[in-house]
Amino acid sequence: MKSVMIVFNQANTGRVEYMLDVLNIHGFTFFEQVQGRGTNGGEPRRGTHAWPEMNSCVITIVEDEQVPALLESIKKLDLRNEEVGVRAFVWDIVATV
Amino acid sequence: MYEDSQQRMAIYKTAIQKPVTTALIFVAVIVVGIYSFMKLPIDMFPQMDPPYITVMTTYPGASASEMETNVTKYMENALTSVDHLKHITSQSKDNMSMVVLELEWGANMDEAVNDVRSYVDMTKSNLPDNCGTPMIFKLSTSAMPVAQYSITADETYAGLDKILNDEVIPQLNQVDGIGNISLSGAPDRYVYINIDQQKLDAYGLTIEQVGQVVQANNLNLSSGTIKMPTEQYQMQVRSEYIESSEIEDLMVTMTPAGQQVFIRDIATVKDTIKDLSLDEKTNGREAVRLIIAKQTGANTVKICHQVRDELAKIQKQLPSDVKIEKIYDLSETIQNSINSLEESVMYALLFVVLVVLFFLGKWRATLIIGITIPIALIVAFIYLGVADSSLNIISLCSLTIAIGMVVDDAIVVLENITRHVERGEDPHEAAIYATNEVWVSVIATTLVLVAVFVPLTMLNGMAGIMFHELGWIVTVVCCTSTLVAISLTPMLCSKLLRAKKVHVDENGNLIDDEAGKKTWYDKTVVRMLDVIDAYYERALGWCLNHKTITILAIFGIFGLSLLPVITKQIGTDFMQEQDNGRLSVTVKLQRGTRIEETLKTARALETRFMVLVPEIELINTSAGSNDDATIAALFSSTMNNKIQMTVRLPKKWQRDKTIWEIAEILRQEMARYPEIVEYQCTVASNGPGGGGGSTVNVEIYGYDFDKTSQLAEQTRRLCMALPGARDVNISREDDRPDIKITVDKEKASRLGLSSATISTYLRNRVAGMSCGYLKDDGSEHDIVVRLQEEDRNSISDILDLTIPTPSGKKVKLSEVASIGEYWAPPTIERKSRQRIVTVKVTPYNTSLGELAADIEANVLPQLDLPAGYSTHLAGNYEDQQETFSDMILLMALIILLVYITMASQFESLLMPFIIMLTIFPAFTGVILALWMTGRSLDMVGALGVVLLVGIVVKNGIVLVDYINLMRERGYELNKAITMSGRSRIRPILMTAFTTILGMVPMAVSSGEGAEMWQPLGIVVIGGLTVSTFLTLFLVPVLYGAMTKHGDRDKLEAIRKKFIFMDIKVKK
Repeated sequence: MKSVMIVFNQANTGRVEYMLDVLNIHGFTFFEQVQGRGTNGGEPRRGTHAWPEMNSCVITIVEDEQVPALLESIKKLDLRNEEVGVRAFVWDIVATV
Repeated sequence: MYEDSQQRMAIYKTAIQKPVTTALIFVAVIVVGIYSFMKLPIDMFPQMDPPYITVMTTYPGASASEMETNVTKYMENALTSVDHLKHITSQSKDNMSMVVLELEWGANMDEAVNDVRSYVDMTKSNLPDNCGTPMIFKLSTSAMPVAQYSITADETYAGLDKILNDEVIPQLNQVDGIGNISLSGAPDRYVYINIDQQKLDAYGLTIEQVGQVVQANNLNLSSGTIKMPTEQYQMQVRSEYIESSEIEDLMVTMTPAGQQVFIRDIATVKDTIKDLSLDEKTNGREAVRLIIAKQTGANTVKICHQVRDELAKIQKQLPSDVKIEKIYDLSETIQNSINSLEESVMYALLFVVLVVLFFLGKWRATLIIGITIPIALIVAFIYLGVADSSLNIISLCSLTIAIGMVVDDAIVVLENITRHVERGEDPHEAAIYATNEVWVSVIATTLVLVAVFVPLTMLNGMAGIMFHELGWIVTVVCCTSTLVAISLTPMLCSKLLRAKKVHVDENGNLIDDEAGKKTWYDKTVVRMLDVIDAYYERALGWCLNHKTITILAIFGIFGLSLLPVITKQIGTDFMQEQDNGRLSVTVKLQRGTRIEETLKTARALETRFMVLVPEIELINTSAGSNDDATIAALFSSTMNNKIQMTVRLPKKWQRDKTIWEIAEILRQEMARYPEIVEYQCTVASNGPGGGGGSTVNVEIYGYDFDKTSQLAEQTRRLCMALPGARDVNISREDDRPDIKITVDKEKASRLGLSSATISTYLRNRVAGMSCGYLKDDGSEHDIVVRLQEEDRNSISDILDLTIPTPSGKKVKLSEVASIGEYWAPPTIERKSRQRIVTVKVTPYNTSLGELAADIEANVLPQLDLPAGYSTHLAGNYEDQQETFSDMILLMALIILLVYITMASQFESLLMPFIIMLTIFPAFTGVILALWMTGRSLDMVGALGVVLLVGIVVKNGIVLVDYINLMRERGYELNKAITMSGRSRIRPILMTAFTTILGMVPMAVSSGEGAEMWQPLGIVVIGGLTVSTFLTLFLVPVLYGAMTKHGDRDKLEAIRKKFIFMDIKVKK
């Protein structure tokens, strides 16, 4: 099992949710209003006067074979409007209860 | 949906997620607003009580100076402690004292009246015994006539009184809310029995005997009951006169020779109209003036309309020679003013929408703005309805002012949402998150406006009455617009804005459908704006490299613009006079001039006026005095030697000459008549300050009548020499010639006569003895027995009057009394408990402030005032001074509040200071605008200056806020400034243009009453235009000059703060 953390601009919330539904991914943990800044370009999302926008974050634990499709979809979403922004990071799940 | 699970529900989020609820809430608001709008009465000004209370005390038999010392002084002393008292003035005349208290505008009049009553009660014991109870009354708006009609007739003139009282007035009384209806100059039917003194003497008769005979034969009397065997009858003597001719045949006495003496033998009986004392003419025809007042709080416009309709109906029932013509009708002026203001509001709305369309270039976005503005405005009507106010000049002016401001909030929100949508976001989500980013700053900018307008609601005095409502309305409208901007606007955006059209082609590539497509809008407007942006960026870059020059140049322009002020090119006024197409002319002839002589002058003037000014539609003239004390008499002080005219002209757009030019023509004509002592030609105004134009009053205080009269005359002569002075009048009436009869008490008592009986006899002979009524169709007409005119129109005739003694003998008046001609002292006027004479001066082709300065410089120094005498400039000039000092105080308060608001917004003391400096260019603009249009600064203009403080700082806020943002994002100072300038010039220009164009209809309107608010438009347009232009350079340059340059210092400071990074880790 893999954990995928998707960090995205709040404005992408609807699309991310749609994407998970289409990919039949049921479980996720949702973190609302998270801050962040990117290493490779993109505007910081800090919720401040200078950078007023905010991100949200979804962590979903999926089967290994679901990961490529998910990442591809996330890439598609990023291509749809790059300025809005979405990123995903994958790591292994060692154990669950 | 996922969003429903969110806990933080901000207003915009709720609005976007519940579009139906949101839309319907606003529909409800609109419906309530329209309902309030329809229910709102229309009036000229907000409801206000004129703050005058009058205390009138009678003391029969006292002369003016006795009245002054015994009554007026006590009253004044007691009444000076009334709360909110501004001025106390008094008039002491024969038998009467009148103390007028002028309170602060806006004082609670009910409380004040109670206060006055208790003070009057306290002082009552000090008054002389025979004094009547002091009467207290307050002047109320309901007492002021709302319309006047002239009714002319030829053949039926004699019967006009009856027609009016029986048909016209009862029908008019049915109009809802109508107040007092009075007639001026209505002919009364009178039966006069004019007796020949010689014949009376020859038959040994007295007037009283004749009178008794007339009275004794005019009665209906019940004389018991007659009982017949079966029936019972009331018996009555019925001998009331049916025809006046019956009187002629009455027998008065029988001579010793047995000859019967009938009334026709010694007198002529005239069934006629009352002797002339008040003469009313309209365009030279016999006329009656119908004066209509309304009840307090009633709707003037509605009443006037109904009266007009009623009169049109009544006209049909009247004889054909009776004509009803309007002299004036307040509703017309009100209606016209309101209509032209409503037009201004509509145009402002249109202009604002066009500006938005021009800058945004998107019809959907423009539609959203177009929907939100009216909602904010409609809420103003709800406020007016709740506050029990009316649709008036002030409230509509406020709306016009507000229109340009309400769009700003919506634009900021809209712009941010559009930016998000263009990035490819879904409009629904973009609306939520984009609003979230700006809603705090939208509220913050509104706070600045609130800081400007709320203090207006706290103004005192007359300015307070005028601007209280304005303050509230703009505050309410601005707050509503903010509320709309963060609820309805995002909702509409989420529904109306379309996401950028994109599609995925067969190869799986995302294709932007709109890329490369250029509309005509992009080719023209956007290109032009791009050019402006680029040009501005370059200019700004230059300025940033030449900061000193730029700053010096801008302040140099400011300094230069002060020149017109320093050289006194810009005058000051209280309020602009309005061209309502109505002039009021007052002419005073030599004191004691016989009414018939006065009438001759009046007729001559009428004819000449008509020739000189062919535009005149109607002249209503009244001359003489009305001895019936009606309410109308309070408002017209005609006397035998006074002529009062109302001249009605066509509406100002229907003629070439202005009303002031026409007034000047009439003045020049009146100046040519040697018999005219004083004349006045004022433009009738509907201002809250009451009738008459604005004047500078020179008040001369001093005890001695001769000395003060002389000073007044000197002032008058000096003032007349001033080029801008017209209608110079002295308030003090000339001494009145009286005939005084002094009874020789010893002789009189020897004959059994007293002064009282002698005066009664005299009255019977000269004024006439009233002996009952001639009844005709339910109305009673006086029957008066008196001497024929030839026997009582000279001093020798009076001396020759026969007086009966109790013993039946007859003596001539000359035997018991002497007669003399006297000059009765004038009315004694006082102000602030000192005797006073006022010289009133009306400005012509100059402003009130300039005229006052002229008088101060050229007239007052030339008067040689003895010790104990002083002069003071008052009148509207004083009001103006007071208002201006109020305004300056207000402005200081507003500047402070705005500073505080901005300082908290930027969390900086420096930024608001930089922004505040943009007020100087605004002043430059104001001065230039006034100078170029040749206007003077009046109360309304001064308000404009105050408002400018709030309006111009908005530009600065936008700019500084963005520069701050850019700096926070890490741009170097100059780079940040030029970038911000380039990015913000469009929003700044857009908001400035919406406000400026919103004001244009107000500034150029030529409708009725437009004179009043024009200065506001001119001032704001001028100030904002210049300030916007200069702010674009001043603020960035000042920002550049006053803030620290590089980020190096900042980095250094941070490094010092986090010194832990410098610690060496030992391995």
